[in-house]
Amino acid sequence: MVDILVTYGIPAAIIAAQSVFLLVCLLVFVAFILYADRKVWAAVGYRKGPNVVGPFGLLQSFADLAKFMFKELIIPAGANKGVFLIAPLLSTTLALSAWAVIPMADGVVISNVNVGILFIFAISSLEVYGIIMAGWASNSKYPFLGALRSAAQMVSYEVSMGFVIVCVLMTVGSLNLSDIVNSQAGGFWNWYFLPHFPMFVIFFISTLAESNRPPFDLPEAEAELVAGYAVEYSSSPYMMMFMAEYVAILSLCALTTILFLGGWHAPIDIAPLTWVPPFVWFWAKVIFLFFIFAVIKAIVPRYRYDQLMRLGWKVFLPISLFWVVATASFLVFTGTVPQ
Amino acid sequence: MVVAAIAFYIFAGIAVAAAFMVIAARNPVHSVLYLILTFFSAAGLFVLMGAEFLAMILLIVYVGAVAVLFLFVVMMLDVNFASLREGFLQYLPIGALVGFVLFLEMVMVIGTWVIAPETAHLAQSPIPPLGDVTNAEAIGRVMYTQYIYFFQAAGMVLLVAMIGAIVLTLRHREGVQRQSITAQVGRRAEDALEIRKVEPGQGISEL
Amino acid sequence: MEIANLPDLGPIASELTLAIGGMALLLLGAFRGDGALRLVGYGAVLLFGLAAVLVIGQPNETVLGFHGAIIMDPFAKFMKVLILIGSAVAVIMSLNYLEQEKLDRFEYPVLIVFATLGMLMMVSANDLLALYMGLELQSLALYVVASFNRDSLRSTESGLKYFVLGALASGMLLYGSSLVYGFSGTTNFPSIAEAATGHGMPLGILFGMVFILAGLAFKVSAVPFHMWTPDVYEGAPTPVTAFFAAAPKIAAIALFIRVMMGAFPEAVAQWQQVVVFISIASMVLGAFAAIGQRNIKRLMAYSSIGHMGFALVGLASGTAQGIQGVLIYLSIYLVMNAGVFCCILAMRRAEGMVENIDELAGLSKERPVLAFVFAMFMFSLAGIPPLAGFFAKFYVFVAAIDADLYALSVIGVLSSVVGAFYYLRIVKIMFFDEPAEPFEVPLAREVSIVLTLSSLFTIFFFVHPSTLISLATTAAASLSSGAVAVVGH
Repeated sequence: MVDILVTYGIPAAIIAAQSVFLLVCLLVFVAFILYADRKVWAAVGYRKGPNVVGPFGLLQSFADLAKFMFKELIIPAGANKGVFLIAPLLSTTLALSAWAVIPMADGVVISNVNVGILFIFAISSLEVYGIIMAGWASNSKYPFLGALRSAAQMVSYEVSMGFVIVCVLMTVGSLNLSDIVNSQAGGFWNWYFLPHFPMFVIFFISTLAESNRPPFDLPEAEAELVAGYAVEYSSSPYMMMFMAEYVAILSLCALTTILFLGGWHAPIDIAPLTWVPPFVWFWAKVIFLFFIFAVIKAIVPRYRYDQLMRLGWKVFLPISLFWVVATASFLVFTGTVPQ
Repeated sequence: MVVAAIAFYIFAGIAVAAAFMVIAARNPVHSVLYLILTFFSAAGLFVLMGAEFLAMILLIVYVGAVAVLFLFVVMMLDVNFASLREGFLQYLPIGALVGFVLFLEMVMVIGTWVIAPETAHLAQSPIPPLGDVTNAEAIGRVMYTQYIYFFQAAGMVLLVAMIGAIVLTLRHREGVQRQSITAQVGRRAEDALEIRKVEPGQGISEL
Repeated sequence: MEIANLPDLGPIASELTLAIGGMALLLLGAFRGDGALRLVGYGAVLLFGLAAVLVIGQPNETVLGFHGAIIMDPFAKFMKVLILIGSAVAVIMSLNYLEQEKLDRFEYPVLIVFATLGMLMMVSANDLLALYMGLELQSLALYVVASFNRDSLRSTESGLKYFVLGALASGMLLYGSSLVYGFSGTTNFPSIAEAATGHGMPLGILFGMVFILAGLAFKVSAVPFHMWTPDVYEGAPTPVTAFFAAAPKIAAIALFIRVMMGAFPEAVAQWQQVVVFISIASMVLGAFAAIGQRNIKRLMAYSSIGHMGFALVGLASGTAQGIQGVLIYLSIYLVMNAGVFCCILAMRRAEGMVENIDELAGLSKERPVLAFVFAMFMFSLAGIPPLAGFFAKFYVFVAAIDADLYALSVIGVLSSVVGAFYYLRIVKIMFFDEPAEPFEVPLAREVSIVLTLSSLFTIFFFVHPSTLISLATTAAASLSSGAVAVVGH
């Protein structure tokens, strides 16, 4: 019995502690990311944004948190109660679990699995269930329409995202996220956004669609669907849906960083830049990508649904498919296939 | 190995229970959700066996794409499944009989489980030890070499499925305005606009 | 890294032709739009011709390809040529019909090409995986063409029925395959045969074999897995029915023979009982159930069930002679079938196709030549000498008697006599009943060419049967002699 505790108990406790630490950091970070999102949006519109709670409104998200927690939870009478409550839990759990495999610096990762990239891809494709379940369980028209839109949209864009990932994987020769980052070491000219530039663009736009962000926020388009799949939610379940969305956005930004922007590596391998810890480089890149997300939300008008589908199936899919073939041919004919 | 055993029983138990609920659930949407749970537990079992590549592909393809569309269809269908079940009791004896015969056969088969040791060498591509290569690589080694014929044949099957779906369902409705992106982008200002100098008090005579 | 060694593509040259050609036709049709039916159709016929030439050009010995996944031998050559002829004829027969019925969409020939590709893969299968892939490719394409007339309730119903029951059959086949794989550790036919001999036959392999048999029996529409046949034949557009009755049946029988002789040669005693049973059941049911039919397509469905029963008589004998009988049977059946459906296509009035047998009344007065040819095919299907259909039955029954299957032969001959009743009833209606409203349009040129050729073959087969017989003998010998295979890679 003692043996079992020593062999399994201690590693389990370490993993649990790491997970909790990451969870707390992530949630605090999300609070500020939310604040940043609103500030950027406000700035584009010449407004001030949140500026009341705390210095410069920095504590706004915490005030919101308190508000959500203490409000009454309303479950619509016709709702499918079990599914209605499971949906936000599922969204949050899935969004957070993706972070288990994301390496923030060399070796700084909870679980360095061999198929990390597939794990993240799988998790991000599962996130659609939170939305579908929420939309269906609400037993109301707008959430249902939002759920249907979301299902079609996420499945469509995953296809080209998959092909983009395949392009990078072929160049690296590994499915391990740390290997992918390390193969981009040495300077920004080694980062994959240069050789795979069209794929970088496609991937970035697909992550917008995958996370239901503007201009692809049709599942929650307030102009026609009020708040889409989240119409009937209130109180802490609503907060969880909301939080899950932002965690998912962050993990997609992290994925883009890892695949195309060299992960934790400094842009140029010279002295002052290498003094900065890799951890900081990683987060700087993630925040930069999120900043672009926020700016896009502020300045790009929403797509119409048929345009969204056309972009996914008729533009991105052929281009990314062609790029897979081109990458494979290039690697084979130049003899640079990674072993 | 205790932890692995515990994990196995948890995943296996959930898989079996969820699979049972797929057929027992009254609400078809719940059935599909249980089906997804079954897939998910099966992926967990794959991970325990060290087949993490298969596990992830199962999640991405079945749970992330196929089951979503499945759910999509079930949610859209307005079928009263309760009335479909009315004949259930009527066919129960026959169904139970067939099930019992199958079960008996399984028992007989498993009861005589002798895999001749000399057939082991017949396995067409033995699995390389897990320590040597990752299982994604192990699959990659045979997929495009030894199994290329089957792989391409599967591709043809999917192509036919796609053609079939289009043949049977695609209809071009009359009177629907479709957006032509090329025409829209190719339109130039000169084709649409004309700038006239309008003299005060005269207006434009011809349009 | 060098480019990986390409496998030897020689044995699958015809399959490759169909796959690449089919995709090229698909692109051609997609870019040309809906008016491309005739172009794509003749392209498909050309493709079948090319594939047949490539098949005939294969060496006259057994060649394995793709690590033993596929096999190319004279048996496969014979069957593949038959299938290609059947498919080409089906496309030719359907072009005019599709145009008249406003079904002229270019996907039809493309789907037939892919179905044929699946059949060729089935014939060459030497591995359970290859078997399943071929079967599924064929079946999927067939489900779609069955409901090709998507605005007709009966056509969509037939497609749906075919699909649901076909999926069930595939499920049984897969279940059997997994049992066989589990107990033998391999999916390769010769290796399964090897595993099955080691310790005597494990029970699991036997169960697996029976499930595989059930799945295959569905595909050849043998009793007791025949229920789908009449509905599908009746509902599907007529040229599609003509196609269903010929090429897929040939492919399924070829696969049947391949699996039984290739993977379970040591279990002859076990599978022989099953084959004898389904063969008897099919012949008897085909003969009796057809009597009450009023719809010519349903009647042909029961007729084809019966004919598959006769063909299985040859397989039941389990000898090279029996296989030879099956090959001859299938060749002749293919030709007769094409001819009969050409005649059925002629049953058209201004308001559309008619399918009731009574509409044929007095055909001899209006269209004496057509009536004569139709009657001749009916005699041939009934197996009356000296027409080709007689020889077909003759060879399988001789093989069965030589294999000491006397009961089977007697029942077969008796049911053949019963079957003659409903064939001859059609002849009686055409020649002795009061004339009904005449059929309007003459046959399309390409259909009459097919009709002429098939009737000439049926009438004059007895003059020179030796070519077909010697080809069939070579083909059958390659299968059962245990010829040493040349292993490619």
